[in-house]
Amino acid sequence: MVDIHYDQWEPVIGLEIHVQLNTRSKLFSAAPNRFGDEPNTNISDVCTGQPGTLPVLNKEAVRKAVQFGCAINANIAHFSKFDRKSYFYPDSPRNFQITQFDQPILIGGAVSALVGGQIKHFSIHHGHIEDDTGMLKHFSSFAGVDYNRAGVPLIEIVSDPCMTSPKEATAYAMAIKAIMEYLDASDCNMEEGSLRIDANISVRLKNEKTLRPKVEIKNMNSFYNMELAIESEIRRQVRAYTLNPHGDYGAIIQKGTYRFDLEKKETVMMREKEAAEDYRYFPEPDLPPIVLTASYIDEIRRTLPELPHQRYHRYSAELQLPEAAAILLVNDKSLSDYFEEALKLCSNAKSLCNWLSVEFVGRLKDTGKTLRQSEIKPQQVAKLVNMIDKGVITGKIAKSVADIMVLNPGKDCEEIVKENPDFKPVHDSSAIEPLVDQVLLQNPQSIADFKAGKSRAFDFLVGQVMKLSKGKASPEMVNKILTQKLQ
Amino acid sequence: MNHFDENDLAKLTKLCRIECTEEEKKEFFKSLKNVLAYVDQLQQIDTEGVPPCNQVLETLKNVMREDIIGDILPRELFLANAPSHVGGMIRVPPVIKFNSP
Amino acid sequence: MYQLSATSLHELFKKGELTAVQIVEDTLKRIAHHDPKIGAFLSVLSERALDKAKALDQKRKDGKHTGKLAGVPICLKDNIHIKGELTTCASRFLSNYRATFDATVTRLLEEEDGILIGKSNLDEFAMGSSTENSAFHVTKNPWNLAYSPGGSSGGSAAAVAARLCPIALGSDTGGSIRLPASFCGIVGFKPTYGRISRYGLVAFGSSFDQIGPFTTTVEDAALFLEVASRRCEHDSTCLKLPPEHYVQKLKSSLQGTKIGVPWHFLEDLPPEAKKNFHESIDVFKKLGASIVEVDLDLLKTSVALYYILSTAEASTNLARFDGIRYGLRSARAATLDEVYDFSKQEGFGKEVKKRILLGTYVLSSGYQSDYYQKAQKVRTLVIAQVRKAFESCDIVAMPTSLSSAFPLASIQEPLQMYLQDIYMICANLVGLPAISIPSGFDKEKRPLGIQLLGPQMHDADVLRFAHAFEKSTDFHRAIPPLFRE
Repeated sequence: MVDIHYDQWEPVIGLEIHVQLNTRSKLFSAAPNRFGDEPNTNISDVCTGQPGTLPVLNKEAVRKAVQFGCAINANIAHFSKFDRKSYFYPDSPRNFQITQFDQPILIGGAVSALVGGQIKHFSIHHGHIEDDTGMLKHFSSFAGVDYNRAGVPLIEIVSDPCMTSPKEATAYAMAIKAIMEYLDASDCNMEEGSLRIDANISVRLKNEKTLRPKVEIKNMNSFYNMELAIESEIRRQVRAYTLNPHGDYGAIIQKGTYRFDLEKKETVMMREKEAAEDYRYFPEPDLPPIVLTASYIDEIRRTLPELPHQRYHRYSAELQLPEAAAILLVNDKSLSDYFEEALKLCSNAKSLCNWLSVEFVGRLKDTGKTLRQSEIKPQQVAKLVNMIDKGVITGKIAKSVADIMVLNPGKDCEEIVKENPDFKPVHDSSAIEPLVDQVLLQNPQSIADFKAGKSRAFDFLVGQVMKLSKGKASPEMVNKILTQKLQ
Repeated sequence: MNHFDENDLAKLTKLCRIECTEEEKKEFFKSLKNVLAYVDQLQQIDTEGVPPCNQVLETLKNVMREDIIGDILPRELFLANAPSHVGGMIRVPPVIKFNSP
Repeated sequence: MYQLSATSLHELFKKGELTAVQIVEDTLKRIAHHDPKIGAFLSVLSERALDKAKALDQKRKDGKHTGKLAGVPICLKDNIHIKGELTTCASRFLSNYRATFDATVTRLLEEEDGILIGKSNLDEFAMGSSTENSAFHVTKNPWNLAYSPGGSSGGSAAAVAARLCPIALGSDTGGSIRLPASFCGIVGFKPTYGRISRYGLVAFGSSFDQIGPFTTTVEDAALFLEVASRRCEHDSTCLKLPPEHYVQKLKSSLQGTKIGVPWHFLEDLPPEAKKNFHESIDVFKKLGASIVEVDLDLLKTSVALYYILSTAEASTNLARFDGIRYGLRSARAATLDEVYDFSKQEGFGKEVKKRILLGTYVLSSGYQSDYYQKAQKVRTLVIAQVRKAFESCDIVAMPTSLSSAFPLASIQEPLQMYLQDIYMICANLVGLPAISIPSGFDKEKRPLGIQLLGPQMHDADVLRFAHAFEKSTDFHRAIPPLFRE
């Protein structure tokens, strides 16, 4: 047996992220850009490659690409053009893809993300616009081709090989996804394929300067799987180099395209990089170049919506949300927008954040719905938090109210409290005093501890009183009475 | 220039996905070799610093359409030209999954 | 009636002296009688044409507005779509393909009440200069049935020359309208690149292709252009210019104009063609134009540039013919690879295969910079030289071809066939408007043509010079003897 010292190796990871832009129509034709319909119903003469058809560029796709470029501080190319990339495959209706080869619309740029509590910056090589392919459905004796997806606008974002762990790769990809969502440029649904990630992975010994052969992994349909896939590929490569310390790198790690086998939990080779792979790129003669003016770009830059890093900054600096909570919210655009709406009616941001992202999201988990989909209005959650803050109900009662809100999403939370006598907190000191007395009588040791300066003993006593009141006693009142009695 | 040989032709027929008979191969080889020899005259022309002509109409740029849904090709019409179809899809022989470039 | 130009037919229709049904019936009769001799048509749209004629006659009866082409039978090269009709491109591959949409030019012609009468033969996918590369049959020259009508739009040229219809459309990638026009003794016009939408024209060389008319008079070509030169939202390279009144602009005099001639480039012209060209130049001199020499020596590279660039574009344009979505799928194919390999083998003719192979080669890695990119750079130089030439003249004149029509099956070596196009490719490389008009006959009574080229967008000037020449000559009136009845 050979010992494998994974810690002596450093992975080098680059990601190619394909994001479908959520335009109404396709990139080069007026067919609808829509997922999930009957096969070959969202097609046009152009996107099925009928002879005699010509592409015409969708203005909105360009705008969204430029928006993204501005959001990542890329250089927006004043001149960019399209090229033909030739290969044969049944899902490619013209047998060439229209893409941008040597003059892409976005060059450079960077995103930052928190990885293990530290801010990391990830640099982007370029971003280009291209059209998506159709889809193949595989059956045992034949395959069926559906061109509904053919021609959907894609932006491909190619990172530099700047990531050194699966965690970094995930953080980077999530940051890209969040930006796309904040721009409302894409649905970024990995399961439906509107966000697709290919990873290029190589490993090298720490301190090694040059790069070793890389492997491309496709078919990672969730961030979770992506992390697993990258992790397992890194280990595979380290193992291979360790077992063949003197071999030729190219022979040990064959260049090629791999996919992650979800059952085996390992990467499997799909095909070798053929020496003859030759896409014969050349400028697309049917499309004039894109020439963007400074004023067009400035206008887009000026009107960008709030971006994830800006929102994160606001949450942590102004609202003083804990870091983890802020990230959780920011990375979930829909939840974060929900939070924003609730925030208009509620000033306790911390508590609101907790109620949204822990209590409600947790209660909705089994329904498979997001908070937005649940039809519980943000104003209701804000109201609930306000009721706690004003002492109208206790936190414990609020949890029961929340249970009912999830079951009856349309129902007003004040209504719920009103209808249920158990949900009214006891403010009456004459009702609480006997409970306090009873608890003090039963816990002489705690009294002694308190007097000896152990503040936790006080908390314990509060808890006992609350328990006795079945959670209905107003916490302020319990505090007040208990403090008086112990003096 | 022009070292075109039989191997190149074999690579080419594979790239274009055209099956050729031996007789065709001979004819195509000869014909391509001739044409390539003829076009070699271009090497005589000095193009140092000359940009490639990617557009014949030089003033043309930013030709774009509004993002509006327009005419759809009805599926029946699309499939009417298809050599083989099934369940609304174009039918092709089985393909190894995940082989798309 | 068959001797009438489109303009005259239209006028008689408007006046009520001829009904559209009379015109169509006469046309169909002539096609049935004469086309078997020449094989100009691939399909005849009798029913469609008669329906349209009846509708037109009704429209006129009702006093409703009729379009600029009302009463004019028009034939389309079979690489231009008419929705629901076959578009074969004279290829076995597409022998059953029905167009799913109308070409923009088709729509415009129909909107102006032109009557679509049929689809004409061509070299497969417009690749060729003789119309011998059709998968279906060879088209013959109406002036001598043993000769080629030229190509690739030979069917359209032969149809108009034999007076089977007054207007037929062709497409011109490297002379495919002008060469057959010259060989058949009629007018053939290739407008400025982008003047007429290419949407619905099956692409060959996308940066070269342009649709244009065959007619018996320059006036008819101008009429066609008035109808067809409209901006089109489906073609990104289609010009966005206001419509021009080409017919009206034909009238002005050539007094004081300058015609450029690249004498040096024309040195190798054979004696008979040279003599005819000199005679044509004399006609222009008499019309008041002065002749200046221009340097277009780079055009010696035309054929080389053309065969690199047009085949490169074609190799990708024709990649879609794979037997998956439409067209021929080989019955022998059991695997996906075989669908591609065998369908293309069975569906394409030799010339098409050769050009796909060549185009693929010049784009392939390791060779692209020597061939494709080099050619694109030389193309830049050619454009600059042509632009310079037009600084000293209004129009450039050249012969259309090296000689009159060649006998069928006489040219076997592809390169020799390619060289037929040497004087015409310039217009496609640079996107210029260019016209070929009849300029006389050789000793054996086969037509010759002169070609006029203008700067980009100067279509009206090209037509004006051609019209002036036509007015002072009779060649365009000559009808091939076999078809004078």
